Amino acid sequence: MEHPKKRPHLSFPVKASMCIMGTGQLLQKQWVKGLLYLACFAAYIIYLAVMGVEDMIGFFTLGTVKGDEWLGIEGDDSIMMLLRGLLAFVITIFFIGIHKSNINDVRESDRKIKAGVALPGFKRACEIFFDKKFYIAALAVPVLGVMIFNILPIVFMILIAFTNYGGDIVPPELVDWIGFDNFKKILALSEIKDTFFKILGWNIAWAVISTLVNYFGGLGLALLLNKKCVRKKAFWRAFPILAYAVPGFITLLGFKFMFSYGGPINYYITLHGGSAIGFLDIDAGMKAKIIGVLVNAWISVPTSMLLATGILSNINHDLYDAASIDGASKWKQFIKITLPFVVFSTTPTLITSFVNNFNNFGIFYFLRGGLYNKGYFLASDTDLLINWLYNLSIDNNYYGIGAAISLIIFLITSTFSMITYVRSNAYKKEDTYR
Amino acid sequence: MKKKKFWNSSRIDSLFTHIVLIAVCSVFAFPVLWLVMASFSKSGSIYDIEGFFPDTLSLASYKNLFLDTAMYDYPNWLKNTLFVAVFSSLIGTVLVILTAYTISRFEFKSRKLLMKSTLVLSMFPSFMGMTAVYLIMVNFNLINQLWSLILIYVAGAPMGYLVQKGYFDTISSTIYEAARVDGATNFKVFTKITLPLSKPIIVYTALTQFAWPWSDFILPNMLLKNKNLWTVAVGLTHLDETQFTRFAAGSVFIAVPIVVLYFALSKFLVAGVSDGAVKG
Repeated sequence: MEHPKKRPHLSFPVKASMCIMGTGQLLQKQWVKGLLYLACFAAYIIYLAVMGVEDMIGFFTLGTVKGDEWLGIEGDDSIMMLLRGLLAFVITIFFIGIHKSNINDVRESDRKIKAGVALPGFKRACEIFFDKKFYIAALAVPVLGVMIFNILPIVFMILIAFTNYGGDIVPPELVDWIGFDNFKKILALSEIKDTFFKILGWNIAWAVISTLVNYFGGLGLALLLNKKCVRKKAFWRAFPILAYAVPGFITLLGFKFMFSYGGPINYYITLHGGSAIGFLDIDAGMKAKIIGVLVNAWISVPTSMLLATGILSNINHDLYDAASIDGASKWKQFIKITLPFVVFSTTPTLITSFVNNFNNFGIFYFLRGGLYNKGYFLASDTDLLINWLYNLSIDNNYYGIGAAISLIIFLITSTFSMITYVRSNAYKKEDTYR
Repeated sequence: MKKKKFWNSSRIDSLFTHIVLIAVCSVFAFPVLWLVMASFSKSGSIYDIEGFFPDTLSLASYKNLFLDTAMYDYPNWLKNTLFVAVFSSLIGTVLVILTAYTISRFEFKSRKLLMKSTLVLSMFPSFMGMTAVYLIMVNFNLINQLWSLILIYVAGAPMGYLVQKGYFDTISSTIYEAARVDGATNFKVFTKITLPLSKPIIVYTALTQFAWPWSDFILPNMLLKNKNLWTVAVGLTHLDETQFTRFAAGSVFIAVPIVVLYFALSKFLVAGVSDGAVKG
């Protein structure tokens, strides 16, 4: 008996294509296809020879020659080398993919020749591919886009977190791999450590408070609008939708003006003999935090109201009828039927909303951007981690530490995201509906 | 039988409900009204408006907005915003529709993997990779270009394909199969059958793809350092208290189309929001 796992006999064209891409196709008289594969192969070899290998080595060394304008030495640009090294690896992965498709193609043709089927011409083969593998043609551009602008930046950011890039060390200085030093700095170096833990504490408090306020605010509003005595629901609902529709940055800047020294609130305070209050000043402390929570509620309650409205309309009304017959009070019905149902069906939302609030960049950037408090390293007392990250990396060029912080944020939020992912059945349900 | 009291409990309940509703709705309406009224104020500074609302109304702020452009070139900002939003919307819609249709319609090996990874990726806040995008853009000299902005918006667009996929899932597959039996290619099926059937979802996609760049601030602020390239969102943040009514007028002008759009789409809103709950 033949061994079931015995490899199929490799014909000469297949072997040829394994060594040099495209030669197998040429042997099978698939001229255009063969030449294209051959051209790909040549292009990759030339790329490797001219810059690819150098780029890959550069990825590890991050440059050896320091530039000096006075001596006219053009030094290595470490970040560019990191990026180009990354690119070289990506290109190599692509090449391996093309190489695989090349071998599959030769095998397929081989089988057809043995079966005595005529091979299609190049144009026809393209048409067949475009039709049979339509999903590849359709998804190529979207997937490429997401890879370049979503996945690559994340990988790049992770790499930067392990370098000393930033601060004084920007080109022409040479950047180096430093392992976990950035994380050690964040958790040990006094100035940065203090700031980190202060901001982390406030960030968690902020996320919990604002999530609860927004959630119950929205639920309350939805319940109110859901009452039988409220007629013209569409009219009442228009107001929160209005708030929802105004672009966020306009809302935030508008509120900043409202609470500013010249704003209407301070106008009335001074009119009645008080002195103007700097609601959002550097020393505002608690006032600024409370305003932040309220403004955030103004922006987010409409969203959770819409969500809760959708969920409330799915409650089975027989439950209420049954409860009424049993003599349960309105309050009891709310506690025993409505609340469990709503909370149960919005748990994933609650977690997503927590993550979004945890990373709510806009609120304090617009209300109090650019302020640095005493006792904080390049941050203010209302800044969240994400604002601190922005201050560090975009405004002050502390890229390495900034990237390390974004990895920490990533770890915290991805934990929550994973919980959502596991718990939300939207994904699991997907195929039962089809 | 005792006559029913006028103030029975359900009436009191109703009165109370409406008082709360009026209060809440005023909270939502008041800041908007304040900004709209301020945009019709006569003078430019916030210090000149006594209290919340101006005494006399005029169109001076709007006139300034479009004619006094030496310092703050609003028409130019508007042009840039429009350029970015229109092209992002056009290209983004094509990619989103194509992605959603393909994932809904075809069974292929990496389909599950794609769906899983987009779901996990989209759960991470979009700001995460932003500094890296910035560094990459700086190093490849793509900063200060409107096209690079469009590129980023468009590249990220297919991640939000779930609403559209839900729509395509509802189209029965028998109609496709019939066409396939008749010998139509997959491309033909897409252009001749799917697209005509999905006009509402295309309109919805185009509008949402338009609304995002229209009101985004973070990305343009990061990538556009050149004053001539500012979008409205970036420009408006550079206005201080003395230019308050210019800010108000500029905000109202850019917010009106979006607000109208949202109300026109309000029936999609609940579906969109509950989907957003899943994808974050």
